[in-house]
Amino acid sequence: MIEVEQLAKSYGFARALKGVSFTVQKGEVVGFLGPNGAGKSTTMKILTGYLLPTSGRASVAGHDVVAASVAARRCIGYLPETTPLYGEMRVDEYLRFCAEIRGIPAGRQRAAIGRAVERCVLQRVLGKNIVELSKGFKQRVGLAQAIVHEPPVLILDEPTSGLDPNQIVEVRTLIEQLGKEHTVILSTHYLQEVEKSCTRVVIIDQGRIVADGTQAQIAAAHGGAALRVRVRGPADSVRAQLLQLLPPGAPLAAEGGGNGVTTWRFGLPSAASEFPAAVAAQACRHGWQLLELAVEHASLEDIFRKLTGAKAQEAVHA
Amino acid sequence: MRETLVVFRRELRSFFLSPIAYVFGILLVSVLLYYVSEGALQNGARASAEGLFATLPLMLVLFLPGLTMRMWAEERKLGTLELLMTFPVRIGQLVFGKFLACVVYLACVLALTLGLPLTLGAYGKLDWSPVLGSYLASLLFASSFVAVGMFWSSTTRDQMVAMLLSLVSLFVLYQLGNPQNVEYASDWMPAWLVDLVSGLSPHKYFVSIARGVLDSRDIVYFACFCGFFLYANALVLESRRQRG
Repeated sequence: MIEVEQLAKSYGFARALKGVSFTVQKGEVVGFLGPNGAGKSTTMKILTGYLLPTSGRASVAGHDVVAASVAARRCIGYLPETTPLYGEMRVDEYLRFCAEIRGIPAGRQRAAIGRAVERCVLQRVLGKNIVELSKGFKQRVGLAQAIVHEPPVLILDEPTSGLDPNQIVEVRTLIEQLGKEHTVILSTHYLQEVEKSCTRVVIIDQGRIVADGTQAQIAAAHGGAALRVRVRGPADSVRAQLLQLLPPGAPLAAEGGGNGVTTWRFGLPSAASEFPAAVAAQACRHGWQLLELAVEHASLEDIFRKLTGAKAQEAVHA
Repeated sequence: MRETLVVFRRELRSFFLSPIAYVFGILLVSVLLYYVSEGALQNGARASAEGLFATLPLMLVLFLPGLTMRMWAEERKLGTLELLMTFPVRIGQLVFGKFLACVVYLACVLALTLGLPLTLGAYGKLDWSPVLGSYLASLLFASSFVAVGMFWSSTTRDQMVAMLLSLVSLFVLYQLGNPQNVEYASDWMPAWLVDLVSGLSPHKYFVSIARGVLDSRDIVYFACFCGFFLYANALVLESRRQRG
């Protein structure tokens, strides 16, 4: 549905995108993650035709976003980061304008607007001026604007930023529903949002894609897992035995204890599913009391910090 | 065409929804009528609306920048330009739709001054052909200034900057074609140079049409003038797509 190939964009001397490539299949909900200034918004602005790429190409629903820009834009519903709206218009006027300019035939406009209003639960505020609405409602008007023409592709730039927790849940639920019918790309800072509503994650940092895949794939490739063992037994001997089990150089840390109980944590190589069993066997052999044995998968947050945080530090020092 | 009309309707609506438009309209009309009533409605004055149309160009120089300054600058500042430019609409359609809306709004404001010639016509013998010519000339003249103002508005997100740039360029254009200046310049400048320089100014053609003589060349001039600035306007917006 969306194909992006070696997309690059420079603003003057600043290179915002340095060769980004990815594809999005129909029906996917892709979460765009990255620190501020990573190039998420730039990518979205190029896909929606607001900016032209410096090099590379991108297409939406088979239409090149440069050569067939208008055709590509017809297939997209877009919610920009700042949710721009015409404050002086009433909600119903605004949605009618959006429906008209999107080319929905006059006879179908009422139904299209009605559907968008229902999905975004805007019935109560239809007659109000947009400027009077709360932020959550404004966001929903922005979403209604993006879906009024039933586009195959939805591009949402930080749809939940600046909302209160209740509003975030509302908008997130709405996006989940929309994801059932539309191909969605959304960018966000909230990692739970991606964990909850996205089928795939693209992590972007300093204009480059640093990870792309389902959460499980990314976790396997970048995060690995950790094994947490809580045992009651002689700490020194437990430590020695555990070190034997581990591949050389693997991190092992004791996380405190007391009463002869110690919690150990060690990084698990990704293809190491036999480790918990081996640890359990050792515990039996030496008569330790095994109080806890758990595999902890790296959270998206850990991976995100690992992939984007370290480099940001380097950049500061460079 | 349909897209242009949709943009036009929204823009016109927003003119009539915004207080600026009313302030602008009322100010323009009252200043015009004030100047006019000083001369035209006195005892024994000739029934003519000339005063109205002699004052109009300078009033437009002073007031129009306040109206056109927001046309793109505000959209950029609010971010709605991003939305507009991601709708399936060509930039030319956006530019022309907005331009048309502003011209129609100005036509409405001009129509408010119709009371003056109607009154004069009722109480005296008014020659309507120069009056109608003057209204047409005013509209064309105002359109050309709108095109200039919109162009400047597209170059910045700061409305004040857009206003000042428009004010200066409209004032220069106004002076270039001002009959008194043309006369003065003819004394010491070669005639071809005077023609060339004054020929750039919409003011010169305004004077010519306002006499009530409709020359197709004048109309072509206004079409070219507006076309030039509207095209430049579209180029500015397009280049922003490139530069980001």
